[in-house]
Amino acid sequence: MSAWIGQFFASYSNIIDLCLLNSLIAYGLFLALSANMFSLATGGFMALGAYCSVYCTMELGWPFAPAVIAGSLLSALGAALIGAPVLRLRGDYFMLATFAFTEVVRVIALNWDSVTGGAIGIVSIPRYTETWHLALAVVVILYVTYTLRRSYFGRAIAAIKQDDVVAQSMGVNVFAHRLSLFIASGFICGAAGALAAHLNYFIGPSDFGLLRSVDALIYPILGGVNSLVGPVVGAIFTTILPEALRFSNQLREILMGALVVAIVLYLPGGAMSVLNLRRRRTGARGVELAAQPGSAKT
Amino acid sequence: MSTFLQQLVNGISLGSTYAVFAMGCTLIFGVLNIVNMAQGAFFMGGAYFGLEAARLGLPAPLVLVVALIGGGLLGVVSELVIFRTLRARGGHRWMGLVASLALARMMVGLAQEVFGTQVQRYPASGVLEISWEIGGVRIQLLQVVILVVSLMLMALLAFVLQRSRTGRAIRTVAFSEDVARIVGVPVGRTILITFFLAGALAGASGMLLGNLFNVVSPFMGEQMLVKGLTVIILGGLGNVPGAVAGGFVLGLIEVFSVAYVSSSFRDAIGFGLIFFILLVKPNGLFSGFVERRA
Repeated sequence: MSAWIGQFFASYSNIIDLCLLNSLIAYGLFLALSANMFSLATGGFMALGAYCSVYCTMELGWPFAPAVIAGSLLSALGAALIGAPVLRLRGDYFMLATFAFTEVVRVIALNWDSVTGGAIGIVSIPRYTETWHLALAVVVILYVTYTLRRSYFGRAIAAIKQDDVVAQSMGVNVFAHRLSLFIASGFICGAAGALAAHLNYFIGPSDFGLLRSVDALIYPILGGVNSLVGPVVGAIFTTILPEALRFSNQLREILMGALVVAIVLYLPGGAMSVLNLRRRRTGARGVELAAQPGSAKT
Repeated sequence: MSTFLQQLVNGISLGSTYAVFAMGCTLIFGVLNIVNMAQGAFFMGGAYFGLEAARLGLPAPLVLVVALIGGGLLGVVSELVIFRTLRARGGHRWMGLVASLALARMMVGLAQEVFGTQVQRYPASGVLEISWEIGGVRIQLLQVVILVVSLMLMALLAFVLQRSRTGRAIRTVAFSEDVARIVGVPVGRTILITFFLAGALAGASGMLLGNLFNVVSPFMGEQMLVKGLTVIILGGLGNVPGAVAGGFVLGLIEVFSVAYVSSSFRDAIGFGLIFFILLVKPNGLFSGFVERRA
């Protein structure tokens, strides 16, 4: 039995690592989405975390842990710098500003050859990230999110999600709450970028573009933005699906797209709303609030 | 001086295709308050529809019509399959974004399947390759034609939006769906028409840009989507005249930054400008004198 488990890990360890990494990113986005911040900054944050930590380990010779923390902090700083002016804008402008941020970071990475290696990227990065690092990070973030949702802060965030004007009038400092969540999101995405860089031997500017950001958004949205385990479900699903469809390399994109469309159409509240469907049928109310179209307007 | 004029000519013809594409994006945003991520795929689809039509030997105006209608039909499909269903089921508005992105990927996959991943080119047509030298500036007939076609599409859209019954319906829905329903506007049909118009504009710009650079590939839509988003921020979300101006501004910025700064920072200047605009004038560069939306 233990031999079988060993073999299982040996042959699927890449996918397991990837699932954990994507779950981590999904929670970074989950935090932002829980206050209606539709952030496309993930690619930029991950790039900051990745390049900074790689610079620390390869050029400065730092140990792994301080390098990851440095990358995360730089990325959190980036979040503070773009969040402070932009979070005062209306929701859609926030999305577009974060999109611009990601592209600016990508273009800088493409041109700052001495640090980022330009278009070629950085190769032969030492592999420091172990599976348990990623697992630990996911467990910690899961625990923090769980406690946060039950605290005063979490209830304030829930109020902001329902209606930020009402929340403001009840004395919640909407701007400060949003900004601190966005900084936390930046920190997590930066950490994920740093861990990803030391997992893959290679980073390049094309790893961190708009597609990366949108992929990251798909995890929690597909899994369900109202459920604590939704991000994990979404991340694992979207990571394993391409592997499961590997038999047809050509049709993979088409099948993948069709599946995502089907899920979105039949479970508009996310995959985790399967549970709510059952609950609604047995008569529990309140869960429908989450899926109402108007409730997301900011 | 002749470099300056040459870049001005290039920038205007490039910017006109951006403007046509961005008008579609901003139209959807103005009416439905969503970003349709599949718009880039319609752009790519239009380029391929045009390519197939051109290979059949159709005359150039008909090629444009094929690209317009093809792109428009793709837009209609996206509304019928995704957005309408989501509205009916009360889906979160972020779901539309995820689903339209998935649709875009499906279409890119499909294009790879049907046309292959290789870059393809429009068949050479002798007439459009004529070019003139005026005072050291080389002007291609193709550039002039693209500019004229773009201006005609802009004028056509302006006419539809401002003067026709459909345009009034679209503007009413953009103002408020509920109000539109109260005054008897067929909301579902109006939204369908909006998607057709936006898809047609994306398809036409795909065909135009495909001709300008003479490159058609399944992946051309992604980059264009980024440019479209940039332009609608420059012009103000949902602001059609703003999108036209923003398209020309972006085209000129790109061309001039390649000529005078460095080709590698072409995109950085555009995005840096976005940041600046969002901070200083979040309603777009042209919010001061254009109040009307979509």
